[in-house]
Amino acid sequence: MITPAEILASYEPPHKFCLMGNEAVARGAIEAGVRGVFAYPGTPSTEISETIRRASEAQRRAAAPDPIYFEFSVNEKVAVEKAIAYSLGGRSAMCVMKAAGMNVASDPLMTIPYQIIGQPLVLVVCDDPGCFSSTTEQDSRYWGKMASVPLFNPSTPQDAYEMTLEAFSLSARLKMPCILRTTTRVSHSRGVVGIGSITVIVQPPGFIKSPQHLNIPSRTAAAHRDLLAKLAGEDVGKSQQRTTKHLTVLRGNDGSEDGLGIIASGVAASYANELIARYRLQDTLELLIIGIIHPFPMQEVLDFLKCGFSKVLVLEELDPIVEDDLRLLVQKHNLKVEIFGKGFAGLSTVGEYSLDIVRTALTEFTGIEVERPSPLPLDDVKALVNSLTLRPPTMCPGCSHRATYYALRLAIQPERTNLVLCGDIGCFAMGAFAPFQMIDTIHHMGMSVSMAQGISEALRSGGAGQDKTIALVGDGTMFHSGIPSLLNAVHTRANIMIVVFDNRTIGMTGHQPHPGSESPLDALQVDLKSLALGMGVEFVEVIDPKDIAVSYRVFREAWERRGVSLVISQSPCVFLPEFKDKMDVMKRVVVDPNLCNTCGNQEDSAIVCSRCATPESNLNKARAKLTALKTIPALEQRCPANICNHGFFTALLNGAYGEAIQIVRDKTLFVRVCGDICPRPCEYLYREKGAPVVPIRKLKRFVAGRDDFFLNVQLVRKPEPNGLNVAIVGAGPAGLSAAYDLVRAGYNVVIFEKEQVPGGLLRSVIPDFRIDKTGYESEIAILDQWGVRFEYGVELGRDMTLEELSIGFSTVVLAIGMGESQALPVIEEQVPPERRSDAISFLKKFNSGASPIQRGASVLVIGGGNSAIDSARAAIRDGASEVFIAYRRSRADMPAFDEEIEEALSEGVKIIYNTVISAVTQSSERLSVEFSSFSDGRPSGIHRYDYVITAVGQKGREEAFASAKLPLSAEKRIIADEATGRTSLRNVFVAGDVCAGNHVSLIGAIAGGKRAANGIRAMLEGYPFAYEGRKALEALNANPRTGFRGDDGVDFATFDDFSRLISEYYITQPCRQCNHCIENFGCPALLMVNGKVVIDDSQCTRCGLCIDVCINDAIHWAAPDEASFKREVILSADS
Amino acid sequence: MHDRSQNTCKIVIAGIGGQGVVFLTNILTEAGIAANIPAASSEIHGIAQRRGSVVAGITFGENTFGFIEEAGADILIGLEPLEAMRCISYLNRASRAVIDDNRQLPHSINTGKNIYPDVDAFIGFLKSNIVQVIFNRTFDANAPSVLRNVYILGRAATLEGFPLPVAAIEETLERRAKKGTVEEAKLTFRMGLEFQSGGDDVGH
Repeated sequence: MITPAEILASYEPPHKFCLMGNEAVARGAIEAGVRGVFAYPGTPSTEISETIRRASEAQRRAAAPDPIYFEFSVNEKVAVEKAIAYSLGGRSAMCVMKAAGMNVASDPLMTIPYQIIGQPLVLVVCDDPGCFSSTTEQDSRYWGKMASVPLFNPSTPQDAYEMTLEAFSLSARLKMPCILRTTTRVSHSRGVVGIGSITVIVQPPGFIKSPQHLNIPSRTAAAHRDLLAKLAGEDVGKSQQRTTKHLTVLRGNDGSEDGLGIIASGVAASYANELIARYRLQDTLELLIIGIIHPFPMQEVLDFLKCGFSKVLVLEELDPIVEDDLRLLVQKHNLKVEIFGKGFAGLSTVGEYSLDIVRTALTEFTGIEVERPSPLPLDDVKALVNSLTLRPPTMCPGCSHRATYYALRLAIQPERTNLVLCGDIGCFAMGAFAPFQMIDTIHHMGMSVSMAQGISEALRSGGAGQDKTIALVGDGTMFHSGIPSLLNAVHTRANIMIVVFDNRTIGMTGHQPHPGSESPLDALQVDLKSLALGMGVEFVEVIDPKDIAVSYRVFREAWERRGVSLVISQSPCVFLPEFKDKMDVMKRVVVDPNLCNTCGNQEDSAIVCSRCATPESNLNKARAKLTALKTIPALEQRCPANICNHGFFTALLNGAYGEAIQIVRDKTLFVRVCGDICPRPCEYLYREKGAPVVPIRKLKRFVAGRDDFFLNVQLVRKPEPNGLNVAIVGAGPAGLSAAYDLVRAGYNVVIFEKEQVPGGLLRSVIPDFRIDKTGYESEIAILDQWGVRFEYGVELGRDMTLEELSIGFSTVVLAIGMGESQALPVIEEQVPPERRSDAISFLKKFNSGASPIQRGASVLVIGGGNSAIDSARAAIRDGASEVFIAYRRSRADMPAFDEEIEEALSEGVKIIYNTVISAVTQSSERLSVEFSSFSDGRPSGIHRYDYVITAVGQKGREEAFASAKLPLSAEKRIIADEATGRTSLRNVFVAGDVCAGNHVSLIGAIAGGKRAANGIRAMLEGYPFAYEGRKALEALNANPRTGFRGDDGVDFATFDDFSRLISEYYITQPCRQCNHCIENFGCPALLMVNGKVVIDDSQCTRCGLCIDVCINDAIHWAAPDEASFKREVILSADS
Repeated sequence: MHDRSQNTCKIVIAGIGGQGVVFLTNILTEAGIAANIPAASSEIHGIAQRRGSVVAGITFGENTFGFIEEAGADILIGLEPLEAMRCISYLNRASRAVIDDNRQLPHSINTGKNIYPDVDAFIGFLKSNIVQVIFNRTFDANAPSVLRNVYILGRAATLEGFPLPVAAIEETLERRAKKGTVEEAKLTFRMGLEFQSGGDDVGH
């Protein structure tokens, strides 16, 4: 089987062949005997270069004599210079470039016509009307006039072939270069081309010396005259004759002046040709096709006009070059003919022409209505088509540029800063699109480095505080035109960071080599890093963008330092053998649907989650995952109330304090008091002592202390009332928590409270110096607003019985707490009432400002729980001269929270251990208290006090529920089912301190209330989910002692401290609100199907990067028997 | 054929970069030459790869150059439904179409900013307004996805008035399919050619 390249290179090919315009040019050049081709890749010209390159290789393989030399030069200027030199060395040459390439090569182009070349030289430039892939739609035909060089403009592939031969022939005769200019449509359309054979032309090498090689001012005027004379001469005249075609000759030169003529050039001529044939307009129109644009074929046009036309229509894309030359000619010769061109019938200088545009023009020009085929009955097709989702080009799966952008985005956070990212031309420029949108400027090749230093300089000299600017450039472009700009930056001490997107190839045009990449030719590979260091760049690092952690670090470092920093992000393009050879097709990547977009906090997805996951917030998580010093699984910091610590922490990472508070409120109303006094089981239940934990309570206190977000409680979904009634007895935190969950589930809730205000012991007994109660009252008021009915001054047992309640309501929650103090007989009996108090009564009085402690009094507190500590600290604040706590066991046995003990000690409270009171006597005004050792009963001293407070335990009011005969624990607390909080009575639940086994703490009460609410829902509605916090609650209840974690040593009074603290940590947990990989990474192989991400195996290139990107840890390499996503699923999914 | 008196036929191929639009275009034009029919084509490529929209035109007959005007296509081959929709203005009442239900989601649909348009409604509209529609819903999961376009070519070759003889296409596949995949390509083409439609996939 012969390859196309072999055919194109062969000496005796088949006569007719279907060729692309570009291939036709290549064949023409080969037949013309070109010996060296110097090119730079550029759409739409690249196929010319590639065809010649492969033909050259085919010739070498076939050991042909004198095979063509081919190179991709560093840029178009060098290509043209080297081609000129090659020609002067006695060998025919050709250059191939896109439109913008001639701009780069314009210096040698402009100069050489004043001199001479050796063997023929043809410069091929390809324009792009309609800007399919170019920076402008410039009309390169002007180069003919501008440089005074013959310029050919073919209309079809056959034309392109013939004109290439003509250009070489003319170049040989004139000894100056000729330009062949095509457009995308001609370059990329295919047609049958009749081609010839290759004749071997001997071209002996050698530079012939001549004074014409010296371009010095004394020569230029004469050279200019000679140049113009060449263009007016016979050789050009012959070319003009051969390339100007008069079609559809109808009439002789009868001189009548009422005919219609068309003069066309380029692809517009093909449109005219097709339409004239289709609609049989040969009897009406005569067509002249112009192939040579400069010098304008005046004679041929004049001959054409002699046919006698009243009107002539000019059809050419882009600028009216032929039209203007025609008008000039007509005016000079005083001809009577009306000329139509740009502006007529919608013919525009902007964009391409089409069959439709030309048909409209012909219709209007001839007045003949041409029959149109019947279109489909769509009212407004254009609007419909315009409404279709656009599909811009996007980086391939596995593209290394995507990895670079991802790491760069994490490192420099462009969405948060004002910094400018200056981009360039190439595949990586797709980073301007979603999801990255990380480019602010794109101009022309090489502009990135210049733009960055220019903006930086403007900012600096204008006095801006921050002048670091970033340049983003591809490896190909860097070698093409970035080097001089980099040199300038170094030399002028610019303050810029340059990121080279080095995918080891010139990608966009089809993976051509450049000096820094591997090359199939025997070429020396240039090391960009060494080049940069040699130039004087102080910071140059090469990174593998697939190593996100290292890339992140290097980007940060490069960004933060002053001066020129260069980061070369190097990883092969997926099309290269360097990538493909390493790709293991047998390895597959899969997403675990149980982790992707799945809530790790609760099973019931209907439970409101207030996390606002935006792409930016997910980026913050990704960054924290990468940079945190302490990463802790959220499973190891679980809360008995199942507050989502992951969501809470993530909200703080995003600076979203309101959201953080709202996330706590998804589970419990009481944010501030938790921040104050929670014993923080999340910080000690699951982690070993000494292991890092996120200081949740500290963070909660910080955030909850902010008034601006505090009362922003959203009732996210107003629930439908379900007609079920619940009675809750006790308006302490347990009862209120049950109410909170039930009212949100649509229940009608009534709370009975024996006091006149809600809040329980938290409000009346715990002192103000321990918790901030202002928030607490407002939080409780929210329940009011949501329709919870409070009945105050109603006491269970006295005003109503449990039985009555359980009949009158669907269910009852008993949350009456343990509001009574246990008595200590020795004190009860031996101390007069005015000199003693139980802790609860004392603290109630203290809180209402009526403390019985006198200033200067000496106070004894008996007991070791929180009430004892609170009482002691209250006494200190009352101005007591000394406060002692006597506890019967050791410090380690004290039930009080360790930090409370520490606080008390720091305030001057003294604690005596292993001590009980054996007797008290009154002497003068004071009490004499006899202590004895608890362990062996021996007396240990007598001390004098003015006041005694007993804090030896709490108990419930048994009489409240005695009639119900509920099973009780030893401490007279009601026994209930651990999973639901239900008692032996069918519809009576307990929560809080009164429930046996419930941890005596705020969080224990909250969790107990929520558990009871859950149990009620299960019973009455068949709610299928177990209480979400059950595991943590069980762990808490099994561990009655609180563990003192030890302070982190950081108290963040300031926001900076806070930021520093949270930047050290990351709590990891799968989250339902994700889509991070799709929104922030955007690999096309990641598809969203039915709310989960799946990997399209047919697109995946196994780069494995998504595994690192996923913040839910949901993506992994597939086990051999693990199934991949099947594409057919898309057809039935809701897309 | 569009214009019997002039013996021309115009085919539009729509897909995304990487699906093989250019490959099919080359097969069709070469098959035309092999069958001694004047053939030409026109496409936009270069930057349009990288999964962007690609449209190509193939024309058979004298005085055609690969360009297709509005309502000027006799046949539409849609390798991707959304791209086929984008080409709707090329169709006329006498057109025929093969559309492959091989949806490729652009990024904006993946992120939920847009939704993929209703393909069934589009096919329904076509069936009511053009002469023949083949809506391909299956492709053997074991077959290499890179040959899917050849399969669709096979299905297209069953359209009434398809301008090329099957032999010319098979001969061209032999010459032009990638080394090592020639037999597979011919087989896949045959599979498309011989597919017996039933149920959803109905031409009429």
